[in-house]
Amino acid sequence: MRYALQRFTQFLIVFFLVTFGVMVFMRIGLNKPGDPARTMLGGTVSQELIDSTTAKFHLDSNYFVQYWFWLKGMLTLDFGYSAPNNMAVTTYLKPRVLTTVFLGVYSIFFALVIAVPLAVYQAYKRDRSFDKLSSFATFFFISVPAVVLAPLLKYVFIDWLAWFPRLSSKIYPWDDLVGHFKNFFVPVLVLTIPLAAVWTRLLRADMVQTLQSDFITLASAKGVPPSRVLWGHALRNSVFSLVTSVGFQLGGLVGGALIVEAYFNMKGMGSLLVVAILSSDLFTVQAVSAILVACVVLVNLGVDLSYALIDPRIRHARALS
Amino acid sequence: MSNISQASSRDTGAPLLELTDVKTHFRTRRGLVRAVDGVSLTLERGKSLGVVGESGSGKTILSRSIMGLLPTKGTERHGSIRFQGQEIGNLGRKQMRHIWGREMAMIFQDPMTSLNPLMKIGRQITEPLEIHLGMDKDNAWATAERLLQDVRIPEGARRLHQYPHELSGGMRQRVMIAIAMACGPTLLFADEPTTALDVTVQAQILDLLNDQRKERNMSLILVTHDLGVVAGHTDEIAVMYGGKLVEKAPTRVLFADMKMPYTEALMQSIPKIDDPSHTRLLAIGGRPPDLVNPPNGCRFAPRCLYARDRCLTEEPPLRATDNPEHTYACWYPVGSAEYYQAKARLAETPVAVGGLD
Repeated sequence: MRYALQRFTQFLIVFFLVTFGVMVFMRIGLNKPGDPARTMLGGTVSQELIDSTTAKFHLDSNYFVQYWFWLKGMLTLDFGYSAPNNMAVTTYLKPRVLTTVFLGVYSIFFALVIAVPLAVYQAYKRDRSFDKLSSFATFFFISVPAVVLAPLLKYVFIDWLAWFPRLSSKIYPWDDLVGHFKNFFVPVLVLTIPLAAVWTRLLRADMVQTLQSDFITLASAKGVPPSRVLWGHALRNSVFSLVTSVGFQLGGLVGGALIVEAYFNMKGMGSLLVVAILSSDLFTVQAVSAILVACVVLVNLGVDLSYALIDPRIRHARALS
Repeated sequence: MSNISQASSRDTGAPLLELTDVKTHFRTRRGLVRAVDGVSLTLERGKSLGVVGESGSGKTILSRSIMGLLPTKGTERHGSIRFQGQEIGNLGRKQMRHIWGREMAMIFQDPMTSLNPLMKIGRQITEPLEIHLGMDKDNAWATAERLLQDVRIPEGARRLHQYPHELSGGMRQRVMIAIAMACGPTLLFADEPTTALDVTVQAQILDLLNDQRKERNMSLILVTHDLGVVAGHTDEIAVMYGGKLVEKAPTRVLFADMKMPYTEALMQSIPKIDDPSHTRLLAIGGRPPDLVNPPNGCRFAPRCLYARDRCLTEEPPLRATDNPEHTYACWYPVGSAEYYQAKARLAETPVAVGGLD
């Protein structure tokens, strides 16, 4: 209980610091040429609009007051107003967020589906030709950057084989499931391949180490079949680095998807953030940062909780503190 | 006490375990490591055998060779291992799996690292019961509780739901014993089962092992570097050096009349209760032989205080004393004329024994 409270306090502190920091830096940028509202709205707008915008978003107050009003808006899911798009941030943020979430969740899911069995089997067949070949392959795919992989896979699957349509990000699974998956397949693959490669290597290394433990030898000496030794005894003892890495990846989802979003012209949060920063779109930047911070902190919390779920020693140590 | 499935008694009249010229060699970059180099011995049903030697004498590899628990890659196995009349020396892991846990079980040295830290004690004990005996969950857990009783762990029902880190070292070793005995094996290996434990707990664990052996009519192979450990707990002792068996005898006979200077040296390196305090222990000088290039002749000769030229060139065969159960491999055994000559010479010249200091 005390642990949970501690974690929640941490979450709040990080959240406030980051969102406030983002606001201050954006405001410093906006203030530079003169009036923040004028900068935000662009050169040729009426004085009334500037005045009303200033008043509405408290741009003339000090940072703390402005931040306070922004926070209040957040509570009612009012993320403010995007001047360059001339609409409420909330309305056009939703599809962006969804696109990125789909990209991230699918790629992480498929990377795990590939990495875990591969790593387990590699560790089992350690130093045999299968292991060596796979190690080479994973090393290769780690080294291929997304900017190379994206055009390559696009050429193969979309242009040459024509298995998948040219992309539009507007298909939701509840509208057209097959279309949705066809749409996301290639971009997700671009993200999945390097992830799967990294995770395979990570898990293989830990598995190899675990398989040398005494308790694994004991499990074999009990007559436990190899598959059960691997999946029942060794894997659980080997997943800690993997869980940590998956956590980082989930947290860094937006940044990671940036190249793919840009290349496949999928309107996600990564590309949104870049455009928003360049166009001094204060409230969009702040909304995206808020979501990011929340994601990172929550995922970290999830990672910590899953450590405790996996390892009774951590669980018990925490129960005592 | 409980009457959990006793070991299946396939009485063939043959000894339980019969090793003939067992060799285990590892291919390494340095060359072929002859970890076990031609060991022959037999073990009767229900008897206990102590395998004694320094680190690197091959005692652990010997027990793992018998169990077939060695990595297959880079390992060469020669000779014959007959278990319950059946040749198992050439079986792969897949076939051995049905023997492991069921007919042969092993207790490891370090109870702190030998239990799965993420799995409840109960789960670790019931696993072999479910796999080998096909017990359902309730039955297996009830059996596990009885097993904990057998190894004298109080509050078994509660302990079963605990994790290894919640138990002391001695408790964990008891759990290990419970796991090993779960399916009522006929042969139990205990590889330095007390080395990692407090002295006060060591005797308890050894007594427990011995009691369980007698009660269940198991055979026990107790691997240790400590002659003191095997003294009161085994029927026979086999002394290993450099991958070879150098002396073997019933325990009483060995302690009364040891033939190998190596056995004698091991004996002298144990503190004795009636020595005055601050008596210096005799260490064996030098180090165990390189098993890639073992010395010619007797492998112990380079470190032996009584070695002569013949020892360095000609390897002594295993031969019996008047007692056919007592065999040793030495040209000039303890008690021979040459032994006393050498001893007298050593007494005159006050060299530090075995290169100590």
